[in-house]
Amino acid sequence: MSDTLVESTAESAFLDLHKKLLEQGTSSFSELQQLSLQRFEMLGFPHSKHEMYTYLNTKELVESAFTISCRSEKVSEDFVVSHIYPGCENHCLVFVDGILNHDLSRLKGVSANLTPIAEAVSVDKELKKHLTETADNENDVFAALSAAFCGEGLVFKLADKEKISEPVQVLFVSTGGNHAMYTPRLVWQLGKLSELKVIAKFVGVEGGYFVNGIQDWLLAEGAGVSFTQVQADNFDSWHFSKTRVQLKKNSRFHSSNASFGTQLTRHHYDVRLQEEGAELKLNGVSVLDGREQVHNFIRIHHEAPQCVSHQYFKNVINDHARSSFDGTVIVAEGAQLTSSDQLINNLMLSNEGHADNKPNLMIFADDVKCTHGATIGQIDEEQWFYLQTRGLSARTAKELLTRSFAKSIIETIEFPEVVKDLNGTLLKKLEIHNV
Amino acid sequence: MLEIKDLYAGFDGTEIIKGISLSVKKGEIHAVMGPNGSGKSTLAKILSGHPAYEAMSGEILFDGKNLLDMDAEERSLAGIFMGFQYPVEVPGVNNAEFLRMAHNARRIKAGEEEIDPLDFDDLLSEKMNTLGMEKKYKERNLNDGFSGGEKKKNEILQMAILEPQLSILDETDSGLDIDALRVVSEGVNKLRNENNALILITHYQRLLDYINPDFVHVLSGGKIVKSGDKSLALELESQGYDWVTTVN
Repeated sequence: MSDTLVESTAESAFLDLHKKLLEQGTSSFSELQQLSLQRFEMLGFPHSKHEMYTYLNTKELVESAFTISCRSEKVSEDFVVSHIYPGCENHCLVFVDGILNHDLSRLKGVSANLTPIAEAVSVDKELKKHLTETADNENDVFAALSAAFCGEGLVFKLADKEKISEPVQVLFVSTGGNHAMYTPRLVWQLGKLSELKVIAKFVGVEGGYFVNGIQDWLLAEGAGVSFTQVQADNFDSWHFSKTRVQLKKNSRFHSSNASFGTQLTRHHYDVRLQEEGAELKLNGVSVLDGREQVHNFIRIHHEAPQCVSHQYFKNVINDHARSSFDGTVIVAEGAQLTSSDQLINNLMLSNEGHADNKPNLMIFADDVKCTHGATIGQIDEEQWFYLQTRGLSARTAKELLTRSFAKSIIETIEFPEVVKDLNGTLLKKLEIHNV
Repeated sequence: MLEIKDLYAGFDGTEIIKGISLSVKKGEIHAVMGPNGSGKSTLAKILSGHPAYEAMSGEILFDGKNLLDMDAEERSLAGIFMGFQYPVEVPGVNNAEFLRMAHNARRIKAGEEEIDPLDFDDLLSEKMNTLGMEKKYKERNLNDGFSGGEKKKNEILQMAILEPQLSILDETDSGLDIDALRVVSEGVNKLRNENNALILITHYQRLLDYINPDFVHVLSGGKIVKSGDKSLALELESQGYDWVTTVN
């Protein structure tokens, strides 16, 4: 690609690493890996002016010498249990270092839904075609890298009308400490009128790792998903994720993402509302301090009439933290009666913090309702004063206002246990560090 | 309780209050009236400790202590309540939770333990009943999406929970329809007692149909140009502010 700069040493290192991986791969899945690898080579690592990476610097990441691990390291059961939400004990998929750990997972009632990707694509030609096309068209070099290295991805499939009422938790544990890259991959395949609730949480035992995961969501007609992600990795790690969503007629995808930030966190969403009546809700919140970073890169494609998308993101930025939001809604020709809104609010708590926002609309239809907006501001002085006139100290009032800013997103999460967790952890950051 | 002595004050270097002296004792209700731009709201802001407003000279004593040395939080904890002309909306802060925090701040200041959340809920229900307020005020976020009347009622609810010694109600009647005005006024009257005092800042006499002041002061050009009893307010209503400003 003309807008990328090949840094031969950085890429060669990953290519050498990949050779080692391929020696151990299964034949069916290696095809996809090989395709992704070619894509990776073609795209090359981004330079600072790359459209997708305008607001973040990946130089240190790509120049790091990573290792790979084909098996998961040992992790204590206590550590895992401490991150499983109450109510999810019976269906939790525990990935350690990017690979499903059967001993730590609890698959009661959902084991029949799971198939390794390699096996799934050998029997499901449609899926194989889809994943092949996706790999072939991948435009994000880190997603291509992830797919090239993904050893043991899984497909979680729901049959038509199948409903799992209890939430399924996916816990991604990175053991870290060895400068490894982990590439977890999940494909969620939902049949017509099926329903699923998923909570994904990313945690690390030690830092120094690069978790680079992909999740594909394929929703058939009338399917409904509630998806909550909590990114709670160690600070000295890198967290990249790509979430691809395909929505068929009248399907519904509601997603919330809460990020603690790392030295570099990037979430890439690519959502396609492909048939009439599809609905997307995408919320995100991050609370950042120190030198933590969270970047969101979002592309929403309205490809059919009468689809709805809502995006609402909030960031609290303290110290030298950074965030960015680069979001584009593309309304295709013929996608009439599209309704789309996008709002990004940033609350700056220090003079050294940094927030970049690029809300964008590309509309090729003439009967649509689309709005977008972004704000970057500080604590509202009048609100702050008002609370103090009721006897709250300046610090308590500021903390209350800051918490309330982030809470308005957290409270949209439909799982009370996650809300409770975030109130006690993500929002706790606002107490520990002097706001 | 409150002694304002020859106060000069303003905003951004501009002098708006030009020599006000006023004494408020326990159990008294003072109405401060005046035309637009006379300095009424500046007086309210100065009393509440708004950081953008400054006293250039003079002093304000509250129970013998220099009020101008205290920030907004200290003034509140000392027993001063400011009812805002435009109560601020604070989305994301639950009204009941906020009221409990404010109530607890006062208890901690008094060396008491924080109130049990269930006990506070009972207290809040009791105050809301007294003021004839609906349950929804508990569940909603602080003034968020409230109508003008609802905001003013919520101010009175805060006043009821905080039980201040001195309340300053800035243009509480503005933006209220006649029913809301009656509800708010009845609330204020119920909270009156011989140990607290009230300063009503208002442009119109109509609030004084419901709350009976002991003293009425007319502010014009940053000064109190006339003081009297309630009859002064009635006189102003019939003759307009020109009457006072011309006479003086």
